[in-house]
Amino acid sequence: MLTYIIRRLLITIPVLLGVTLIIFSLMHVSGDPVRLMFGPNVPKEKIVQKRIELGLDKPLVVQYFSWITRLAKGDLGRSIHVQDRVSALIKARIGPTLELTIIAIIFTLIFSIPIGVISAVKPYTVIDNVGRIFAMFWVSMPYFWLGLVFMILFGVKLHWLPISGRGGFLWTVEGFRHVLLPALTLGLPPLALFMRLIRSSMLEIINEDYVRTARSKGLREGTVIFRHALRNALIPVVTLLGLRLPWLFGGAVITETVFAWPGMGRLLVEAVTQRDYPVVQGIVLILAILVILSNLLTDLAYAYVDPRIRYE
Amino acid sequence: MDKQAIKSRRLRRFIKNRLAVIGLAIVALIVLLAILAPVIAPYNPLQHDYDELLLSPSFEHLMGTDDLGRDIFSRVLYGTRYALLIGVAVVVLELLIGASLGFIAGYFGGGLETVIMRGVDTVLAIPTLILAIAIAGAFGGGLWVMIIAIAVAGWGEFTRLVRAQVLSLKELTYVEAARAIGAGQARIIFNHIVPNSMGPVLVYTTLYMPTAILWSAALSFLGLGAQPPTPEWGAIIADGRAFISYAWWIATFPGLAIMVTTLGFNFVGDGLRDALDPKFERRA
Repeated sequence: MLTYIIRRLLITIPVLLGVTLIIFSLMHVSGDPVRLMFGPNVPKEKIVQKRIELGLDKPLVVQYFSWITRLAKGDLGRSIHVQDRVSALIKARIGPTLELTIIAIIFTLIFSIPIGVISAVKPYTVIDNVGRIFAMFWVSMPYFWLGLVFMILFGVKLHWLPISGRGGFLWTVEGFRHVLLPALTLGLPPLALFMRLIRSSMLEIINEDYVRTARSKGLREGTVIFRHALRNALIPVVTLLGLRLPWLFGGAVITETVFAWPGMGRLLVEAVTQRDYPVVQGIVLILAILVILSNLLTDLAYAYVDPRIRYE
Repeated sequence: MDKQAIKSRRLRRFIKNRLAVIGLAIVALIVLLAILAPVIAPYNPLQHDYDELLLSPSFEHLMGTDDLGRDIFSRVLYGTRYALLIGVAVVVLELLIGASLGFIAGYFGGGLETVIMRGVDTVLAIPTLILAIAIAGAFGGGLWVMIIAIAVAGWGEFTRLVRAQVLSLKELTYVEAARAIGAGQARIIFNHIVPNSMGPVLVYTTLYMPTAILWSAALSFLGLGAQPPTPEWGAIIADGRAFISYAWWIATFPGLAIMVTTLGFNFVGDGLRDALDPKFERRA
């Protein structure tokens, strides 16, 4: 196992370096940061002086290495716009984003597991078809539009739920009411994917010998389905969750913008529109690291469960 | 089984799939609407009319009007053109980048393959939509900037798919046999490997169209794609966002259009996947 972990860790190094290279080049195609900082009507000497101060007069390779060295020390630079440290800006926003994505994942599972199980237990029936079309319906909806429709329906027309902002901590009533619509907006579109996976892996497992054994022992059908079949059918779901994490973060950017949710995604959109590239770089880097980490954990969990992977 | 029989069997399987046929009808309708938009549209989609601001849907304006008095129905109708243009352009670009890299990696292997596949890992480590937003933002946005940004951010999956296909085909006996009778590289590639990897690529491409349309709409919604007054669906929804409390129709109808279009492509893609699945071939 240890060799596998080390080998798997070594693979992430070039990926991480590649990510920094992409992010670094983004900065340099987006225009001169000093000009963005000062605006158009600033004397040339001042610009030249600031460029030297920031080290922008040096060759790109030198700039890249000094940037990476600073990154390694945890220094993400300062925002052009508000002059704050990027790390401080992100620190303030990462909590709400994680909160939103975790609640969204819970919603995805709450809906997809029962539909997937029912579809598998009664395949090719009306229930199965309705369930599949229902799931397909959500995957075809744009996040931002779904969010707006929820706002119109549950906020503007019915006045049931608040339509923007975060209402404090999740465990307070207001906090929970505020997270409901954005989390549903983010959690419903991936439904089809999870439902389909649960259906197909359940279908496979229901025909396994050990399930037949469980049945012939005289166990109740519910016990067979939930204790024997579903548990094993959920293993690939964990992988899919790991794989879908980048999509979820992408969706979070849109959802946060629609619902004015004070997370990293909204910060990213603000920074992109203001061309505040140190902030954009910081957020993209943090999200990439989260994705790399989750892929790593998924792989390790898999290797732990299935020894064959370790020896490949 | 000869080629013709397989083809007709696949076609029959596709036609039997009711959802796939519905999907195909939807896609055909969208294409037709895009072509006939100037004929069908009752108003000029860009024409302001200050006597007809924010009208709710009626017989004169089927989907109502926006804050500048523009007819939403005409705008949504013209939007089909942008959706198809964007979808096709993104898919073609990604195929060009992704499929050719995947082919090189799978067929030639070696150090080149390692470099390409690490590149794929790197690009896929950054959430595609977020990378597209960052790229489009860096270049200042716009319709074509957005198309290129999405393609540059999203080719990784194509590369993985094509490489896997080529790797598995390369080992098959008929490719080995072709090599043994002295067939040249070009003949093996174009007669054996390319045609046989088309199926999964076709399915993936069809299923990728809706993703491209959804992402482009999202970028336009954020102001990084098609710019106003372009009647692009995401941009129209962004326009309508400020009015959702009293003019729900502006944002609602273009969203429905996106949904119907993506649903159509998803149905077709699913149908194609089932029809081309060799698992069914053996059973048949």
